[in-house]
Amino acid sequence: MNRKRTALSAAAAGTTAGVVGLVLIAAPAGADTTPPALPETTAESLVASVLTTDVPALSGTVAVSSDLGLPIPGLPTGDEAARIYTDGEGKARVSLIEGDGEKTLVADGATTWLWSSADKSVVKYTGGARDKAGEEQRLTDPAAAAREFVTAMGDESTLSVDGTARVADRPVYQLVVTPKPSERTLLREVRISVDSETRVPLRLEVLANGSAAPALSLGFTEFTPGAQDASLFTFTPPAGAKVTDGNAEVGKHEPTEQQKQDLLNAIKPKVVGSGWDTVYVGTVPADLLESEVTTEDKGGREGGKTTGLDLVKQFGQPVSGAFGTGTVITTKVGTALVTDDGQVAVGAVPQQVLVDALGQK
Amino acid sequence: MTTAVVDRAVQRPTATRAPLGRLLRSELRLVLRRPRTLVVLGLLALVPVVAGVGIAIAADSGALGAEGPNGGGMASLVEGNGLLLPVFSLVIAMTMLLPLVGAMLSADALAGEAANGTLRGLLVAPVGRARLLAVKAFGVAAVTLLAVLLMTVTGTVAGVVLLGGDGMLTISGTTLPFGAGLGRVLLFAALVTFQVWALAAVALAVSAMTEHPLVVVAVALGLVIVSGVLNAIPALDWLTPALITTSWGDLPDVISDPMPTGNLVEGVLRGGCYLVIGYSLALSRMLTRDG
Repeated sequence: MNRKRTALSAAAAGTTAGVVGLVLIAAPAGADTTPPALPETTAESLVASVLTTDVPALSGTVAVSSDLGLPIPGLPTGDEAARIYTDGEGKARVSLIEGDGEKTLVADGATTWLWSSADKSVVKYTGGARDKAGEEQRLTDPAAAAREFVTAMGDESTLSVDGTARVADRPVYQLVVTPKPSERTLLREVRISVDSETRVPLRLEVLANGSAAPALSLGFTEFTPGAQDASLFTFTPPAGAKVTDGNAEVGKHEPTEQQKQDLLNAIKPKVVGSGWDTVYVGTVPADLLESEVTTEDKGGREGGKTTGLDLVKQFGQPVSGAFGTGTVITTKVGTALVTDDGQVAVGAVPQQVLVDALGQK
Repeated sequence: MTTAVVDRAVQRPTATRAPLGRLLRSELRLVLRRPRTLVVLGLLALVPVVAGVGIAIAADSGALGAEGPNGGGMASLVEGNGLLLPVFSLVIAMTMLLPLVGAMLSADALAGEAANGTLRGLLVAPVGRARLLAVKAFGVAAVTLLAVLLMTVTGTVAGVVLLGGDGMLTISGTTLPFGAGLGRVLLFAALVTFQVWALAAVALAVSAMTEHPLVVVAVALGLVIVSGVLNAIPALDWLTPALITTSWGDLPDVISDPMPTGNLVEGVLRGGCYLVIGYSLALSRMLTRDG
């Protein structure tokens, strides 16, 4: 009888242990919420150190999650993660899992390869065209994104250090960029988590007014500085893959100077305001608004044909004012207004600011 | 009183305790002699062959180039890349077939015996309840491993013969030599086996609680399906890391290069938790069950 009781308590203990284990796995990473103790620093010196630091050799995982309040084609919706390796000297490897396929970008210094497992294709970029391929990489580089942001927003914002925290299990300073009260914007603040040791921005969060969770979060979930295996930064197209020359593709679609000028003349771009309440105003060429686009539903099947303007109207709300009538699309982080005669105003601002901007002829 | 205790202690090893090896062997023989086990094993072994033939035909007619919503992905990589066929087949089988096999074996192990009326005999037999459960769990685990290994072997052979290719083209676009590729295949098979063990352990707990084998299969597959549904609800994201099926989707990390181990290790830990929970619940039920 005694043995049975022992066995029973062992079984109970086992069940408990298993459940506790599951809870521990489910608990968010870095459950240790006590902010790490770091030497005091000022916002200015923190920004300066971020701008001057070189990204070291590292491996890590970058995750993007967005909750913009509207699914906008082209922006990463929901959660995406990429694995990143770099030697800190321009060579890099980025792996992006997509469904049961993978996209891999390898930059070996001279050549950039873009591998897509879904169709077994390789696109090869050499020399200057590398930047084109690098755009995808830049999207997933929190360091560059944070730097660009600080440079652009410096004058109209208040910079402060809001204590410390842990990101990717590393102690970070929280640099908070808040719009000055005079700025009429939908954004509440932008939080940049700066690694205390390497001074690499580990996470960028955009917080909108009226919601506690970030509208956009881009950051490392794993971050390990250290030398990387050189073989990571070489790529040989596998047998049977179709290799295309990216340079030729880029050249084909590169618009000529005349075309660029024509497009600029047609759009008549204008910037109203500065800093957080900058509004971009322009005119969409009529043929673009009227042109037929083929919509796709979620499954990728071909939907009906519709004009660009109809598509905008489908997403947005009708609005009217001094400018006439139009359609406004509102998200948590920005607003876009398209008038029926093709004027467009976009900004991280409430609707009224767009209406004012359209009024300034 | 004292004498009686001493007597029992002396007698026990010779008179009542059968050697463990013999128990395990007889359990394995019992499971493998069931016609349905053999049919299931045979069908599972055929899955990679059928998939291989299908991909070879599709590749010849050029149909793989036109990828459908799910058609692209791994299938297009398997063409001319035989070592990926066992992995591809196991991924397919993991969606339903292998969980079904684990559930079925667990259902037969205890609930099936209860339904036949043979469990009563085992419970009153001079074999400890914990020992009986261990033997049953071993039978389930061993045959599950056998099923996965069978698929791996037929998959590898069919892949190399039908699709060819030297080495393994990983999903990251790098090519591994044959030996390293085979290592990845075996690692994948081991991880798949472990995840099926975890589900089978939960099924075994249910199996100890009912005498209807069908209930066991229904509960186990229900667990898989409900987990999948809960996984898909964004508001329940916090629950995702605790669901048994969460790590199943991460298994193809094995054929990434370099292999990201984070999710795989977490998957093993998660599976281990379910394994411990399943066996513990089964044990407590077995101990309290009436003879």
